[in-house]
Amino acid sequence: MNDSATILGPPERLHPLSLLSSVAASAKGMWSMFAAGGYFAVKGYWLLLVLMFVAFTALSLGAAVLRWRNFTFQVGTREIRIDSGILSRTHRSIPFDRIQDVTIEQNPLWRLFDMARVRFETGGGSGGPQAGDDGALAAIPLPRAAEIRDLVRASRGLVPAAAAPEEAAVQEEAPVFAMDLRRVLLAGVFNFSLAVLGGLVGLSQTLGDAMGFDPFEDEFWEGLFAPGTPIGDFIRDNAAMTALGGALVLVLIGLGTGVLRTLLRDYGFRLTHAPTGLRRRRGLLTITDVVLPAKRTQAAVIATGPVRERFGWSELKLQSLAKEDGGKGDHVVAPLAQPEEVDTILLAIGWPLPHVPQWRRVSFAYVSAFTLLLMPLLAVSLVAIAFAPLQGGIAAAVLVAAIATRFLAWRRYAYAVDDSRLLVRSGWWRRRTRILPVRNIQSVDYMQIFVDRWFGTAGLAIGVAGGGLTGHGIRALPSETARQLRHRLLSRFA
Amino acid sequence: MTVDEEESADREIAAGNTSPAEADRFSGLTAVEPGYRHVLRARLAVFWVPASIIAIVLDQALLAGTPFHAVPSTLVPLLALVSIVVAPQRIYRRLGYALHANLLQVVRGWLVHVDTLVPFVRVQHIDVTRGPLDKAFGTATLVVHTAGTHNSIVTLPGLAPERASSIRDEIRRHIRTDFE
Repeated sequence: MNDSATILGPPERLHPLSLLSSVAASAKGMWSMFAAGGYFAVKGYWLLLVLMFVAFTALSLGAAVLRWRNFTFQVGTREIRIDSGILSRTHRSIPFDRIQDVTIEQNPLWRLFDMARVRFETGGGSGGPQAGDDGALAAIPLPRAAEIRDLVRASRGLVPAAAAPEEAAVQEEAPVFAMDLRRVLLAGVFNFSLAVLGGLVGLSQTLGDAMGFDPFEDEFWEGLFAPGTPIGDFIRDNAAMTALGGALVLVLIGLGTGVLRTLLRDYGFRLTHAPTGLRRRRGLLTITDVVLPAKRTQAAVIATGPVRERFGWSELKLQSLAKEDGGKGDHVVAPLAQPEEVDTILLAIGWPLPHVPQWRRVSFAYVSAFTLLLMPLLAVSLVAIAFAPLQGGIAAAVLVAAIATRFLAWRRYAYAVDDSRLLVRSGWWRRRTRILPVRNIQSVDYMQIFVDRWFGTAGLAIGVAGGGLTGHGIRALPSETARQLRHRLLSRFA
Repeated sequence: MTVDEEESADREIAAGNTSPAEADRFSGLTAVEPGYRHVLRARLAVFWVPASIIAIVLDQALLAGTPFHAVPSTLVPLLALVSIVVAPQRIYRRLGYALHANLLQVVRGWLVHVDTLVPFVRVQHIDVTRGPLDKAFGTATLVVHTAGTHNSIVTLPGLAPERASSIRDEIRRHIRTDFE
């Protein structure tokens, strides 16, 4: 390592006490061993039990010692270096500039020994859903932990432990966007959901035996509706009416679920200006209050559907680095809004929508390559019709519907690049308009599967920070256009 | 430009002597260490050799006397042979990388061709990892983490260890605060 950019301190090890927690952790993962131990104890194989216990302790302690011996970290002036691994060695370097936050945690045991676990949050996506374990030092003395934290903060130019100016002079100003009860109820109507039926099926499967009947079993209904029974005769006489009634019940259940869920979540929806961005308050029973910093907003999505769009309604979501609600990175800032309202909100975060974006369509290969990929399945289902007309027919119909939807989606699919933003409009049933400032792009993939190559097209997949909304990118561009567009998107880095 | 104009422009470029995509794909790309082929071969062997043995054993034990007898015994080892002998060479040939002024480019694959560009300033942290196979064949893997959701981990396998750490140092030199 011949760099001079950074001076690294001497290699340091974790406190030996960290062995304790790692043995405890491996014991926790060994429940099957406890089961075996219990079995041995019951059967009276005491020697085996002792042997197993000794072997386990020796093995896990040995592994922990090895891991501990192979884990070192070096604190430099500009970065921290963590070397770990026994067989597979990993040398991780975390530049201070990339550390968003340093967390110092103490569990009761650590507090007893004046030690701490230090976690560096870099915003890297490697930790999966619970990203945040980008780098961690399991056990070091508390003073050293505080030292490292202050070093990181100082190099970032942050005042150590600055108290956030919280809610200084909260004055109620006119909201950027608010929903009255009527609007919330209307939003609920569009959230029509039959998910509750799925829940009922699950419930009846667990409770069906206890209840003595299961409304989701054929026999239950066959017995009830058999010709000759009063209900059976009634249905036979009023077939059309009962069908209509059944449909009506389904619609009512769907509407009820949607309205209830939306009412609980979005009642009193209010979006106001906050010093750093937008502040959202909503909820009927649980009122949530979230500040969405404008600087941490990565992308915006305007979502709508064929019916909603007809009446001018759409939903606006922001993709943000801030993860307040339940670890999801997408924040609804308007569940149901008219275009002017969407414009107002976008203006409030400084992202006005260009008035007439120059939309450019994508290649028809978007439909034809998809169709080609589905051809084998379609052929199989057509052959299957000969043997099982119902199942084969349904499969074929689903495939044809998928292709038809793809065609409708292609007619809407378009993108536009203005000076600083990429806009992508996609989908027919789930209509999305994604607004992505070019400066928030993390990486760009140029992707081409074998079918694309036959059509001379390629797709771009764009990495954007913050969870929730995935799938930024454009499909089915002529391959040369894709290359040029990628260069244009990354030109500010080149 | 309308779609039609774009498509005709594409055709014009394509009508030239070489396909521009093909030229771009391999221009300025560096191949990884040839030893990486052996890493791939060993990794494939770890899967395919036991799979072949299991297939042969099951075939002899369960399928004797049926019309399918001897099919798995020939097909699976054949598949294993093809993937161990042919695939590593092809994967290796399709894998390349380039260090541009401010970007890391990693290109791989034919059936699923992916060409990734990561701006250095977007890199959150960098790992250099070496597994047992890497050590045996003198290679290392560079792992670049970005904050993205799609593609947040970009791996570049098959580098010489010194090369991996020199790329790591190169990228780190570019990392600077950008909180616009």
